[in-house]
Amino acid sequence: MTEFLTLTITAMVPFLFVAQGTMLSGRAGIFNVAQEGLMLLGAAVGYLVSLKMGGNVVGLIVAALAGAVVGFILSWATTSLRLDQFVVGLALFFLAGGTASLLYRIVIGDDEPPRIKPLPDLVLGQDAMVFVAIGLSVFLWWWLYRTDAGMRLRSVGENPKAADSLGINVARTRMWAGTVGAALMAVGGAYLPMVFSGVYADGIVAGRGWLAIALAFFGGWRPQFILAGAAFFAAMDVLAQRAQVSGIGIPHQFVSMLPYLATLLVMVFALRWALVPQFLGKNYDRESRIVG
Amino acid sequence: MSNDVTENPGATEVTDVAVAPPLSQRARSFAFAAIPYAVAVLAAFVVVGIIITALGHDPTEAFRAVLTNSFRNQTGFVQTLHKWAPLTLLSLAFAIPLGAGRFNIGGEGQMILGTVGAAAVGITMSELPMVILLPLVILVGILAGAVWAAISAWLMESFKINEILSTVLLNFVSFEVLDYVASVVWSDPGAGGAVTLPVGEGAVLPGIGRPPMHTGVLIVVLVSVVAAVMAKRSVAGFELRAVGLNERASRLHGIRTGRVAVTSMVVAGALAGLAGAIEVAGVHQRTLEGVQSNFLLLGIIIGLIARGSLTAVPFVAFGIAVLEVGAGSMQRVSGAPVEIVLILEGLILLFLLMSDVATERFRRARASRAAKGALA
Repeated sequence: MTEFLTLTITAMVPFLFVAQGTMLSGRAGIFNVAQEGLMLLGAAVGYLVSLKMGGNVVGLIVAALAGAVVGFILSWATTSLRLDQFVVGLALFFLAGGTASLLYRIVIGDDEPPRIKPLPDLVLGQDAMVFVAIGLSVFLWWWLYRTDAGMRLRSVGENPKAADSLGINVARTRMWAGTVGAALMAVGGAYLPMVFSGVYADGIVAGRGWLAIALAFFGGWRPQFILAGAAFFAAMDVLAQRAQVSGIGIPHQFVSMLPYLATLLVMVFALRWALVPQFLGKNYDRESRIVG
Repeated sequence: MSNDVTENPGATEVTDVAVAPPLSQRARSFAFAAIPYAVAVLAAFVVVGIIITALGHDPTEAFRAVLTNSFRNQTGFVQTLHKWAPLTLLSLAFAIPLGAGRFNIGGEGQMILGTVGAAAVGITMSELPMVILLPLVILVGILAGAVWAAISAWLMESFKINEILSTVLLNFVSFEVLDYVASVVWSDPGAGGAVTLPVGEGAVLPGIGRPPMHTGVLIVVLVSVVAAVMAKRSVAGFELRAVGLNERASRLHGIRTGRVAVTSMVVAGALAGLAGAIEVAGVHQRTLEGVQSNFLLLGIIIGLIARGSLTAVPFVAFGIAVLEVGAGSMQRVSGAPVEIVLILEGLILLFLLMSDVATERFRRARASRAAKGALA
């Protein structure tokens, strides 16, 4: 049982970083769909930097910076140029994913990749990033709901016209929310080789990026529920792996389906819960006379 | 969320619907549309060429390998067509709902269900003669894909659940369905891994030529012609674009917008299901884990590069199929890694978007100059 809990908590961390990053961008109206590519980029950069420049901490920081660059491009293209968020997001997804494989290929080539040192345990058999991820969720909740700046950010994602009329800089808010959100996603990716595999591989993300989007919806775009949702997603993930190995009476495929079906059911039955930022995925044009 | 996005990429060419403009004007508007493409493709090749050079390989050699591999011999060409068929179908499955302003990211899941349906029929009824079995296999594949997409369409219409979310989630469910079918229900014990038993002989699409090209390619040619004509010349195609351009206005003019959106999703699912059935009946003769390949992502890229134009999709798909088939040969010949091709495709899309912005600014600047001239 303790082993189950430990595994669940570890599996929760990448989901948390990526889903909270998605949430942060989304609350400012930027719907990032490049998670999968950003995680790959984070994983490749994190792995390579940890390997060549020594130290997981440096790896995590550089990965975050790489993610921030991609996030900035997304925010700029959708805020200043007002290009379609979804289209730009997908283009950046391909570019980030391609860059990740390419970087790995250039540095490591076709050789057997050396393993990087795993993150050291801090307390209770958990590494420091576990506490960072949970602390981040708590901080985001406090910041979004208990500070002025957080309320301003939320207002930008709900009604930018009203926010603009009250003197909030809509463009700047969207820019930095999109940038920081993408940096968090890359950190979530960088965590993967540092804890699970020790090496980078092109299939390392395995759909976790898309799941993080589902998680953001599952949690109603609120950090506290995303934390709970991440625990649920991770527990199902661990349970499915256990079912695959030892068998628990039901085929593991059906256990694996649960998080996806549960998300859909939450969306269907909990309409009040399933709040979505009103301006999610839309671009704000100050000059336009039509809101939305 | 996508109901009233004003800058909808799928709805760019509604202008030539009402009255056919004179030929010279059409030629000019074609040129206006072609210039961004040329610039984007050229710029992407230049940037990638610089990357290849920086990696210490010869870019001309790499580009020659990647572009000529499909045309040097029969094998390469047939390989390209076999890739082109599912790419075109999955890209149509993305582009058709895009026309109505909906994002179908579920082509993968719909295709997988198509393979499962087709394989189920092909395995359980393997004794049937080909005249009955083959149409049945294709039909069940189409149906399975359509039903899978209908779930998302229903959730979208009845519960206002974002279709991006539901289609992505159903993709993940479909992976598990495929795994269950291929490793438990009809598992091939000799194969090792999640692979089903082979389908009956009557379920295999006949091949033409040498090396054999499966006849599924011809089905796809037919489908893409029908889709392009329907989009331009039918009421359904008009309503689709109208909804994508302005949903509220369409509703006020009596178009049943909800039904148009749902239909577009179901048709998309049917096409993705057809892709699955063709992969089973033409390529693998069974279904297996990973049958979906990366067709969904490439399908989305193709749909976006084609800007949702169903006429352009098959041509763009052919270009991408050439790049994909040539990628391996490029790595063998020049040493430039295959990942370059993914970057190339992403850059073409990104530069296309940028050139849109540039064209728009250019047009606006010219319009304001003209306005000033009129005042003076």
